[in-house]
Amino acid sequence: MISASDLRLTFGKGTPLENPALRGMSLTVNQGEFVTVIGSNGAGKSTFLNALAGEVLVDSGQIIVDNLDVTRLPTHKRAARVARVFQDPLAGTCENLSIEENLALAIKRGQRRGLTTAVKRQYLGQFRESLSTLKLGLENRLGDKMGLLSGGQRQAVSLLMASLTPSSILLLDEHTAALDPKTANFVLDLTEQIIEEQKLTALMVTHSMKQALEVGSRTVMLHQGQVVFDIEGKDRDGLEVKDLLGLFEKQRGLQVDDDSLLLG
Amino acid sequence: MLSEIAFYGALETGLIYGLVAFGIYLSFRVLDFPDLTVDGSFPLGAAVAAVLIIEGWNPWLATGCAVLAGMAAGAVTAILNVKLNILNLLASILTMIALYSVNLRIMGVPNVALLTEETVLTPWYDLGLEFHQVPVILFTLVTLVSLVLLWRFMKSETGLAMRATGANPRMARAQGIATGGMIILGVAVSNGLVGLAGALFAQSQGAADVTMGVGVIVIGLASLIGGEAVITPSTVVRALLACVVGAIIYRLAIAFALNADVLGLQAQDLNLITAVLVTLAIVLPGVRSKLASRFTRKAA
Repeated sequence: MISASDLRLTFGKGTPLENPALRGMSLTVNQGEFVTVIGSNGAGKSTFLNALAGEVLVDSGQIIVDNLDVTRLPTHKRAARVARVFQDPLAGTCENLSIEENLALAIKRGQRRGLTTAVKRQYLGQFRESLSTLKLGLENRLGDKMGLLSGGQRQAVSLLMASLTPSSILLLDEHTAALDPKTANFVLDLTEQIIEEQKLTALMVTHSMKQALEVGSRTVMLHQGQVVFDIEGKDRDGLEVKDLLGLFEKQRGLQVDDDSLLLG
Repeated sequence: MLSEIAFYGALETGLIYGLVAFGIYLSFRVLDFPDLTVDGSFPLGAAVAAVLIIEGWNPWLATGCAVLAGMAAGAVTAILNVKLNILNLLASILTMIALYSVNLRIMGVPNVALLTEETVLTPWYDLGLEFHQVPVILFTLVTLVSLVLLWRFMKSETGLAMRATGANPRMARAQGIATGGMIILGVAVSNGLVGLAGALFAQSQGAADVTMGVGVIVIGLASLIGGEAVITPSTVVRALLACVVGAIIYRLAIAFALNADVLGLQAQDLNLITAVLVTLAIVLPGVRSKLASRFTRKAA
């Protein structure tokens, strides 16, 4: 279980560019939940994810992951509990390392690293097996450089890497946004499959309201650094994009003017 | 042509600069950390080894201390960068400048002669080998051992974490790697190798001099880039071999240039030749591919 309470964070404090990104954001995600997060540009989605991962530290508030207060911990000390897939398909892997070396990095996520060989023989069977679930033929290319793979393939491997060792939460940061529609669907299906099979707790930021309603078990909308609504279960079943917009306007008395949010 | 002595001399210094190139490979290539500390840690290694040898220490023990001193210098540079957020290049320049004073303090005088002292080379001269071959044989062994150790390290869990730190720090952090710690360790090891090179250089040349570090970074880079032009560094072993081969080719090229009377070059032209060679090594691969594409277009 992870719980964020009253997170506040202002970028560029005391400068003309002062930007309050999180204004009292609170959210609790229970074990096994798959939460989709939507919101227009500047709503604080990415900042929220970065705050959970440790890439930015909040000014105030508290983040608890499985009974451990991680609020002040840097990214690498949270990594044992927090797995992550980035928006940029090139960001989650090292292109000048081989596929097996990337997987070997991920299999030790958050653990002590020693002086024994990184790519151990006993790992190879597991690597081949998980790669074969992608049906991309990568199980026969373990020694190939990551840079030889396409963006979609690399994102699929990033997902695999994030699920190679157990985590308290999997953070997905618009991880299909930079892919072409067909590849995006492939990666999204894969995401659902992995989350379901391994019963992972996940938080997925997306720019598409349609996607947010189609996958996952709960949807949260952010606006101006706060949660404006949070729906799950029966309330969420059968909901469509226009219902979501209606909900948003009712909550805020606002018009949604972000086209990409409407059209996505 | 080169005399036999000049040839072995080029091999000897080439092998020493191969160690420097290992260090530069680690900082510039693996960690993507442009580190100029080497201009200070090379004479630091020489100074520490020379002073301890004169004190009567075992020369290998003295050399070991030179490695530790180099590592400490590298750690200072990395800590200035990681903990105090000073730009990496600037941090290394600060350490390099500071080391000039430190080296003078260690030696007490600008130049310490070792000609009559027992060095790591002394026992080898008693084996009845040719005088000018001894350093080449010993330094080949040292280089091979360093190469194998570095290669194994790069393939280890920690080594892989270090490579990820240089290639993609954001991803490395997300995998739980303390990137700051990796940078400190890597730059320390890098300068430890350079300290080793300095210690061996002082012992084979018979003196440690406070100015002997000037331009070491350029020579090391020349070796690295030149070697990469000859051996494509697609794997760690190839990259390390490229360092050694590049350093030897560089020294041989210098020896040829200075020995060829037609060119009329003299010893004082060394730095100019180095600069020209480095420029050529950087530019030539690009020219080659441009030419290649032009020819293939004609053929098509």
